[in-house]
Amino acid sequence: MRRRRMLTGTVLAAAAAGLSAAPAHAGDATTLDLYPSTTAPGATVSVNTKACGTGETATGDASAVGAGMFTLAPSAHDGEAIGQFKVPPSAQPGTYEIVAKCFRGDKEMAGDLKVILAVAGTQQQPKGRVETGVGGALGPDPVQTAAGVAALAVAAAGGTWLLHRRARGDRI
Amino acid sequence: MRWTSRARPARSARPARGAPRRGVPDAAIATVTVVALVSGIWLVRSGTEGHPPPQPSAAQADARSEGEAPAAPPLPPSPPDRIRIPAIRVNAPLVGLGLTSSGSLEAPPPERKDVAGWYEAGTKPGETGTAVVAGHVDNAEGPAVFYNLGALKRGNTVEMDRRDGSVAVFTVDAVEVYDSRNFPDEKVYGPARRPELRVITCGGGYAKKTGYQGNVVVFAHLTGSR
Repeated sequence: MRRRRMLTGTVLAAAAAGLSAAPAHAGDATTLDLYPSTTAPGATVSVNTKACGTGETATGDASAVGAGMFTLAPSAHDGEAIGQFKVPPSAQPGTYEIVAKCFRGDKEMAGDLKVILAVAGTQQQPKGRVETGVGGALGPDPVQTAAGVAALAVAAAGGTWLLHRRARGDRI
Repeated sequence: MRWTSRARPARSARPARGAPRRGVPDAAIATVTVVALVSGIWLVRSGTEGHPPPQPSAAQADARSEGEAPAAPPLPPSPPDRIRIPAIRVNAPLVGLGLTSSGSLEAPPPERKDVAGWYEAGTKPGETGTAVVAGHVDNAEGPAVFYNLGALKRGNTVEMDRRDGSVAVFTVDAVEVYDSRNFPDEKVYGPARRPELRVITCGGGYAKKTGYQGNVVVFAHLTGSR
Protein backbone atom coordinates (compact mmCIF):
# COMPACT_ATOMS: atom_id res chain seq x y z
CA MET A 1 0.00 0.00 0.00
CA ARG A 2 2.65 2.40 1.06
CA ARG A 3 4.72 1.69 -2.02
CA ARG A 4 1.80 2.37 -4.35
CA ARG A 5 1.12 5.71 -2.74
CA MET A 6 4.71 6.71 -3.24
CA LEU A 7 4.51 5.83 -6.94
CA THR A 8 1.33 7.82 -7.38
CA GLY A 9 3.03 10.75 -5.71
CA THR A 10 5.94 10.58 -8.13
CA VAL A 11 3.65 10.46 -11.14
CA LEU A 12 1.67 13.45 -9.86
CA ALA A 13 4.84 15.40 -9.25
CA ALA A 14 6.09 14.65 -12.75
CA ALA A 15 2.77 15.71 -14.26
CA ALA A 16 2.86 18.94 -12.27
CA ALA A 17 6.39 19.66 -13.47
CA GLY A 18 5.32 19.01 -17.05
CA LEU A 19 2.38 21.40 -16.72
CA SER A 20 4.44 24.21 -15.25
CA ALA A 21 7.10 23.79 -17.95
CA ALA A 22 4.68 23.87 -20.86
CA PRO A 23 3.71 27.58 -20.87
CA ALA A 24 7.36 28.64 -21.26
CA HIS A 25 7.40 27.05 -24.71
CA ALA A 26 3.86 27.92 -25.73
CA GLY A 27 4.58 31.63 -25.20
CA ASP A 28 7.07 31.82 -28.06
CA ALA A 29 4.92 33.21 -30.83
CA THR A 30 7.74 34.59 -32.99
CA THR A 31 9.92 32.12 -34.80
CA LEU A 32 13.61 32.10 -35.38
CA ASP A 33 14.71 30.89 -38.81
CA LEU A 34 17.48 28.29 -38.76
CA TYR A 35 19.43 27.22 -41.87
CA PRO A 36 19.63 24.35 -42.12
CA SER A 37 17.00 23.41 -39.60
CA THR A 38 18.17 19.81 -39.78
CA THR A 39 21.89 19.37 -39.36
CA ALA A 40 24.67 17.14 -38.14
CA PRO A 41 27.12 17.52 -35.22
CA GLY A 42 30.00 19.84 -36.13
CA ALA A 43 28.01 21.85 -38.70
CA THR A 44 27.48 25.61 -38.72
CA VAL A 45 23.91 26.89 -38.48
CA SER A 46 22.79 30.33 -39.70
CA VAL A 47 20.13 32.04 -37.64
CA ASN A 48 18.05 34.99 -38.72
CA THR A 49 15.01 36.91 -37.65
CA LYS A 50 13.02 39.93 -38.73
CA ALA A 51 11.35 40.28 -35.36
CA CYS A 52 13.63 42.97 -33.95
CA GLY A 53 13.27 45.44 -36.84
CA THR A 54 15.81 47.22 -39.05
CA GLY A 55 19.26 47.86 -37.58
CA GLU A 56 18.54 46.01 -34.36
CA THR A 57 20.79 43.46 -32.67
CA ALA A 58 19.69 40.33 -30.86
CA THR A 59 21.29 37.86 -28.51
CA GLY A 60 20.96 34.18 -29.36
CA ASP A 61 21.17 31.24 -27.02
CA ALA A 62 22.08 27.84 -28.43
CA SER A 63 23.11 26.36 -25.10
CA ALA A 64 20.35 23.76 -25.45
CA VAL A 65 22.53 22.02 -28.04
CA GLY A 66 25.71 22.96 -26.18
CA ALA A 67 26.80 25.83 -28.45
CA GLY A 68 26.42 28.70 -25.97
CA MET A 69 25.46 32.32 -26.69
CA PHE A 70 25.87 34.14 -30.00
CA THR A 71 25.04 37.54 -31.45
CA LEU A 72 22.62 38.32 -34.27
CA ALA A 73 23.94 41.41 -36.04
CA PRO A 74 21.85 43.68 -38.30
CA SER A 75 22.20 42.91 -42.02
CA ALA A 76 21.58 44.68 -45.28
CA HIS A 77 18.78 42.28 -46.04
CA ASP A 78 15.25 43.54 -45.31
CA GLY A 79 15.86 44.51 -41.71
CA GLU A 80 16.96 41.08 -40.65
CA ALA A 81 19.39 40.28 -37.87
CA ILE A 82 21.74 37.41 -38.68
CA GLY A 83 24.00 35.24 -36.60
CA GLN A 84 25.47 31.78 -36.53
CA PHE A 85 26.70 29.10 -34.19
CA LYS A 86 28.48 25.80 -34.50
CA VAL A 87 26.80 22.61 -33.36
CA PRO A 88 29.37 20.88 -31.09
CA PRO A 89 30.78 17.71 -32.63
CA SER A 90 29.67 15.91 -29.46
CA ALA A 91 25.99 16.92 -29.85
CA GLN A 92 23.53 14.05 -29.57
CA PRO A 93 20.75 13.49 -32.14
CA GLY A 94 17.48 15.12 -31.12
CA THR A 95 15.46 18.30 -31.39
CA TYR A 96 16.73 21.38 -29.57
CA GLU A 97 15.13 24.74 -29.02
CA ILE A 98 17.30 27.69 -30.04
CA VAL A 99 16.15 31.02 -28.61
CA ALA A 100 17.03 34.65 -29.20
CA LYS A 101 16.08 37.92 -27.56
CA CYS A 102 16.04 41.38 -29.15
CA PHE A 103 18.66 43.68 -27.65
CA ARG A 104 16.06 46.42 -27.35
CA GLY A 105 12.68 45.50 -25.96
CA ASP A 106 12.01 42.08 -24.57
CA LYS A 107 10.77 40.22 -27.61
CA GLU A 108 11.79 36.58 -27.63
CA MET A 109 12.06 34.23 -30.60
CA ALA A 110 12.55 30.49 -30.78
CA GLY A 111 13.17 27.88 -33.44
CA ASP A 112 13.71 24.13 -33.44
CA LEU A 113 17.01 22.61 -34.52
CA LYS A 114 17.02 18.94 -35.38
CA VAL A 115 20.36 17.21 -35.04
CA ILE A 116 20.80 13.96 -36.92
CA LEU A 117 23.77 11.65 -37.16
CA ALA A 118 25.25 11.83 -40.63
CA VAL A 119 27.32 9.10 -42.25
CA ALA A 120 31.01 9.48 -41.38
CA GLY A 121 30.37 12.90 -39.86
CA THR A 122 29.79 14.64 -43.20
CA GLN A 123 26.64 16.14 -44.66
CA GLN A 124 24.32 13.69 -46.26
CA GLN A 125 24.65 14.21 -49.98
CA PRO A 126 21.90 13.49 -52.50
CA LYS A 127 22.28 10.68 -54.97
CA GLY A 128 20.94 9.89 -58.40
CA ARG A 129 18.87 11.86 -60.82
CA VAL A 130 16.47 14.68 -60.01
CA GLU A 131 12.88 14.52 -61.28
CA THR A 132 12.69 17.94 -62.86
CA GLY A 133 10.50 17.47 -65.89
CA VAL A 134 7.53 15.61 -67.25
CA GLY A 135 7.86 16.34 -70.95
CA GLY A 136 5.28 19.13 -71.04
CA ALA A 137 7.51 21.17 -73.35
CA LEU A 138 7.44 18.30 -75.83
CA GLY A 139 3.66 18.29 -76.29
CA PRO A 140 1.89 19.83 -79.28
CA ASP A 141 1.67 23.59 -79.53
CA PRO A 142 -1.98 24.35 -80.42
CA VAL A 143 -1.33 27.92 -81.61
CA GLN A 144 1.43 26.88 -83.98
CA THR A 145 -0.59 23.92 -85.25
CA ALA A 146 -3.57 26.21 -85.94
CA ALA A 147 -1.32 28.64 -87.85
CA GLY A 148 -0.03 25.72 -89.90
CA VAL A 149 -3.54 24.53 -90.69
CA ALA A 150 -4.47 28.07 -91.76
CA ALA A 151 -1.44 28.24 -94.06
CA LEU A 152 -2.36 24.88 -95.58
CA ALA A 153 -5.90 26.19 -96.20
CA VAL A 154 -4.41 29.17 -98.08
CA ALA A 155 -2.28 26.76 -100.12
CA ALA A 156 -5.35 24.65 -100.94
CA ALA A 157 -7.30 27.77 -102.01
CA GLY A 158 -4.41 28.91 -104.21
CA GLY A 159 -4.08 25.49 -105.77
CA THR A 160 -7.78 25.25 -106.46
CA TRP A 161 -7.73 28.71 -108.06
CA LEU A 162 -4.84 27.73 -110.35
CA LEU A 163 -6.59 24.51 -111.37
CA HIS A 164 -9.78 26.44 -112.14
CA ARG A 165 -7.89 28.92 -114.30
CA ARG A 166 -6.21 26.14 -116.18
CA ALA A 167 -9.54 24.36 -116.69
CA ARG A 168 -11.16 27.58 -117.99
CA GLY A 169 -8.20 28.30 -120.23
CA ASP A 170 -8.46 24.84 -121.76
CA ARG A 171 -12.13 25.33 -122.57
CA ILE A 172 -11.60 28.54 -124.59
CA MET B 1 5.34 21.29 -104.47
CA ARG B 2 2.77 19.30 -106.37
CA TRP B 3 0.87 22.45 -107.28
CA THR B 4 3.80 24.08 -109.07
CA SER B 5 4.60 21.05 -111.13
CA ARG B 6 1.03 21.11 -112.40
CA ALA B 7 0.85 24.86 -112.85
CA ARG B 8 4.08 25.29 -114.78
CA PRO B 9 3.53 22.88 -117.67
CA ALA B 10 0.09 24.45 -118.12
CA ARG B 11 1.64 27.84 -118.78
CA SER B 12 4.44 26.61 -121.02
CA ALA B 13 2.00 24.50 -123.05
CA ARG B 14 0.11 27.63 -124.16
CA PRO B 15 2.74 30.22 -124.95
CA ALA B 16 0.70 32.02 -127.65
CA ARG B 17 -2.68 32.25 -125.98
CA GLY B 18 -2.75 35.28 -123.66
CA ALA B 19 0.23 34.10 -121.66
CA PRO B 20 1.57 37.62 -120.91
CA ARG B 21 -1.80 38.74 -119.50
CA ARG B 22 -2.33 35.73 -117.30
CA GLY B 23 1.32 34.85 -116.57
CA VAL B 24 1.93 37.36 -113.78
CA PRO B 25 -1.07 36.63 -111.53
CA ASP B 26 -0.61 32.92 -112.14
CA ALA B 27 3.00 33.08 -111.04
CA ALA B 28 2.08 35.19 -107.99
CA ILE B 29 -0.66 32.81 -106.94
CA ALA B 30 1.62 29.84 -107.52
CA THR B 31 4.32 31.46 -105.37
CA VAL B 32 1.87 32.23 -102.55
CA THR B 33 0.54 28.68 -102.79
CA VAL B 34 3.99 27.14 -102.56
CA VAL B 35 5.06 29.41 -99.65
CA ALA B 36 1.79 28.68 -97.80
CA LEU B 37 2.17 24.96 -98.44
CA VAL B 38 5.78 24.75 -97.27
CA SER B 39 5.31 26.96 -94.21
CA GLY B 40 2.01 25.20 -93.39
CA ILE B 41 3.67 21.78 -93.45
CA TRP B 42 6.56 23.09 -91.32
CA LEU B 43 4.21 24.78 -88.80
CA VAL B 44 1.96 21.75 -88.43
CA ARG B 45 4.89 19.36 -88.10
CA SER B 46 6.83 21.34 -85.50
CA GLY B 47 3.60 22.39 -83.77
CA THR B 48 2.47 18.82 -83.22
CA GLU B 49 5.96 17.58 -82.37
CA GLY B 50 6.75 20.06 -79.59
CA HIS B 51 10.15 21.45 -78.79
CA PRO B 52 12.70 19.45 -76.87
CA PRO B 53 14.82 21.62 -74.56
CA PRO B 54 18.35 22.49 -75.75
CA GLN B 55 21.03 19.96 -74.81
CA PRO B 56 24.70 20.72 -74.15
CA SER B 57 27.16 19.90 -76.90
CA ALA B 58 30.26 17.79 -76.31
CA ALA B 59 32.33 20.98 -76.51
CA GLN B 60 30.83 22.14 -73.20
CA ALA B 61 31.94 18.99 -71.38
CA ASP B 62 34.42 19.09 -68.55
CA ALA B 63 37.86 20.28 -69.66
CA ARG B 64 39.33 21.27 -66.28
CA SER B 65 42.16 23.75 -65.85
CA GLU B 66 42.31 25.21 -69.35
CA GLY B 67 41.57 28.92 -69.23
CA GLU B 68 39.43 28.55 -66.14
CA ALA B 69 38.65 31.75 -64.23
CA PRO B 70 40.57 31.97 -60.92
CA ALA B 71 38.62 30.89 -57.87
CA ALA B 72 37.47 33.53 -55.37
CA PRO B 73 37.90 33.01 -51.61
CA PRO B 74 34.90 31.42 -49.89
CA LEU B 75 32.12 33.58 -48.43
CA PRO B 76 30.68 33.17 -44.93
CA PRO B 77 27.65 30.84 -44.90
CA SER B 78 24.36 32.52 -45.77
CA PRO B 79 21.30 30.92 -47.35
CA PRO B 80 20.44 32.04 -50.91
CA ASP B 81 17.25 33.82 -51.97
CA ARG B 82 17.43 34.02 -55.77
CA ILE B 83 19.34 32.62 -58.71
CA ARG B 84 20.12 34.69 -61.80
CA ILE B 85 21.60 33.35 -65.05
CA PRO B 86 21.76 36.33 -67.43
CA ALA B 87 22.79 34.27 -70.49
CA ILE B 88 19.46 32.40 -70.52
CA ARG B 89 17.39 35.17 -68.86
CA VAL B 90 16.73 33.28 -65.63
CA ASN B 91 15.87 35.28 -62.50
CA ALA B 92 14.07 33.00 -60.10
CA PRO B 93 13.32 32.80 -56.38
CA LEU B 94 14.60 29.75 -54.51
CA VAL B 95 12.82 27.34 -52.21
CA GLY B 96 14.55 24.91 -49.84
CA LEU B 97 14.83 21.30 -50.98
CA GLY B 98 15.37 18.13 -48.97
CA LEU B 99 15.86 14.51 -49.94
CA THR B 100 13.25 12.01 -51.07
CA SER B 101 12.87 8.68 -49.26
CA SER B 102 15.16 7.10 -51.85
CA GLY B 103 17.92 9.61 -51.10
CA SER B 104 17.62 11.62 -54.30
CA LEU B 105 17.23 15.39 -54.29
CA GLU B 106 13.66 16.68 -54.16
CA ALA B 107 12.43 18.90 -56.98
CA PRO B 108 10.56 22.19 -56.40
CA PRO B 109 6.75 21.97 -56.57
CA PRO B 110 6.03 21.37 -60.31
CA GLU B 111 3.02 23.71 -60.40
CA ARG B 112 5.32 26.67 -59.61
CA LYS B 113 7.20 26.60 -62.88
CA ASP B 114 9.17 29.81 -62.32
CA VAL B 115 10.73 28.69 -59.05
CA ALA B 116 14.04 26.88 -58.50
CA GLY B 117 15.25 25.16 -55.34
CA TRP B 118 18.48 24.61 -53.40
CA TYR B 119 19.58 21.73 -51.22
CA GLU B 120 19.05 23.23 -47.79
CA ALA B 121 20.92 20.64 -45.74
CA GLY B 122 23.99 20.93 -47.97
CA THR B 123 26.56 23.61 -48.67
CA LYS B 124 25.31 27.19 -48.95
CA PRO B 125 26.25 28.80 -52.28
CA GLY B 126 29.50 30.73 -51.74
CA GLU B 127 30.71 28.51 -48.89
CA THR B 128 33.50 25.99 -49.44
CA GLY B 129 31.96 22.79 -50.79
CA THR B 130 29.39 21.81 -53.39
CA ALA B 131 26.12 23.74 -53.34
CA VAL B 132 23.26 22.21 -55.34
CA VAL B 133 20.42 24.02 -57.16
CA ALA B 134 17.68 22.22 -59.11
CA GLY B 135 14.73 23.40 -61.19
CA HIS B 136 12.22 22.05 -63.66
CA VAL B 137 12.90 21.98 -67.39
CA ASP B 138 9.15 21.80 -67.97
CA ASN B 139 5.89 20.90 -66.28
CA ALA B 140 2.63 19.56 -67.69
CA GLU B 141 1.81 22.93 -69.27
CA GLY B 142 5.10 23.64 -71.01
CA PRO B 143 8.62 25.01 -70.50
CA ALA B 144 9.68 25.90 -66.94
CA VAL B 145 12.46 27.87 -65.21
CA PHE B 146 15.48 25.85 -66.44
CA TYR B 147 14.19 25.04 -69.95
CA ASN B 148 17.27 26.64 -71.55
CA LEU B 149 19.84 25.39 -69.03
CA GLY B 150 21.35 23.04 -71.62
CA ALA B 151 22.18 26.07 -73.79
CA LEU B 152 24.64 27.48 -71.22
CA LYS B 153 28.28 27.70 -72.27
CA ARG B 154 31.56 27.58 -70.40
CA GLY B 155 32.37 31.03 -69.05
CA ASN B 156 28.72 32.11 -68.56
CA THR B 157 27.94 33.40 -65.07
CA VAL B 158 25.43 32.33 -62.45
CA GLU B 159 24.65 34.84 -59.71
CA MET B 160 23.06 34.02 -56.39
CA ASP B 161 21.53 36.64 -54.09
CA ARG B 162 22.21 35.68 -50.51
CA ARG B 163 20.30 36.51 -47.38
CA ASP B 164 23.18 38.52 -45.90
CA GLY B 165 22.82 40.96 -48.84
CA SER B 166 25.82 39.73 -50.82
CA VAL B 167 25.81 38.28 -54.33
CA ALA B 168 27.90 35.18 -55.06
CA VAL B 169 29.09 35.06 -58.68
CA PHE B 170 29.91 31.67 -60.17
CA THR B 171 31.48 30.94 -63.57
CA VAL B 172 30.42 27.90 -65.58
CA ASP B 173 33.18 25.26 -66.00
CA ALA B 174 31.20 22.61 -67.84
CA VAL B 175 27.70 21.63 -68.93
CA GLU B 176 27.11 17.89 -69.04
CA VAL B 177 24.20 15.54 -69.53
CA TYR B 178 24.09 12.29 -67.56
CA ASP B 179 21.92 9.22 -67.97
CA SER B 180 19.98 8.33 -64.80
CA ARG B 181 21.16 4.69 -64.97
CA ASN B 182 24.76 5.76 -64.66
CA PHE B 183 24.61 8.94 -62.63
CA PRO B 184 28.04 10.10 -61.33
CA ASP B 185 26.96 10.91 -57.75
CA GLU B 186 30.45 11.80 -56.48
CA LYS B 187 31.22 14.11 -59.38
CA VAL B 188 27.89 15.92 -59.13
CA TYR B 189 27.23 16.01 -55.37
CA GLY B 190 30.62 15.11 -53.85
CA PRO B 191 32.57 17.52 -51.64
CA ALA B 192 34.86 20.17 -53.14
CA ARG B 193 37.84 22.08 -51.73
CA ARG B 194 36.67 25.41 -53.14
CA PRO B 195 33.18 26.97 -53.34
CA GLU B 196 31.39 25.20 -56.17
CA LEU B 197 27.88 25.10 -57.55
CA ARG B 198 25.82 22.58 -59.49
CA VAL B 199 22.68 23.60 -61.35
CA ILE B 200 20.53 20.64 -62.34
CA THR B 201 17.48 20.08 -64.53
CA CYS B 202 16.00 17.22 -66.54
CA GLY B 203 17.46 16.35 -69.90
CA GLY B 204 18.85 13.66 -72.12
CA GLY B 205 16.48 11.68 -74.28
CA TYR B 206 12.77 11.63 -73.66
CA ALA B 207 10.54 8.57 -73.80
CA LYS B 208 6.77 8.67 -73.27
CA LYS B 209 6.88 5.83 -70.73
CA THR B 210 9.88 6.82 -68.66
CA GLY B 211 10.06 10.58 -69.18
CA TYR B 212 13.41 12.34 -69.40
CA GLN B 213 16.23 9.84 -69.25
CA GLY B 214 18.74 11.90 -67.33
CA ASN B 215 19.82 15.30 -66.09
CA VAL B 216 21.62 18.30 -67.50
CA VAL B 217 24.20 19.36 -64.89
CA VAL B 218 25.98 22.72 -64.93
CA PHE B 219 29.31 22.77 -63.05
CA ALA B 220 30.46 26.18 -61.79
CA HIS B 221 32.85 27.62 -59.22
CA LEU B 222 32.89 30.87 -57.25
CA THR B 223 34.81 33.60 -59.08
CA GLY B 224 33.65 36.71 -57.30
CA SER B 225 31.14 38.41 -55.04
CA ARG B 226 29.67 41.84 -54.48
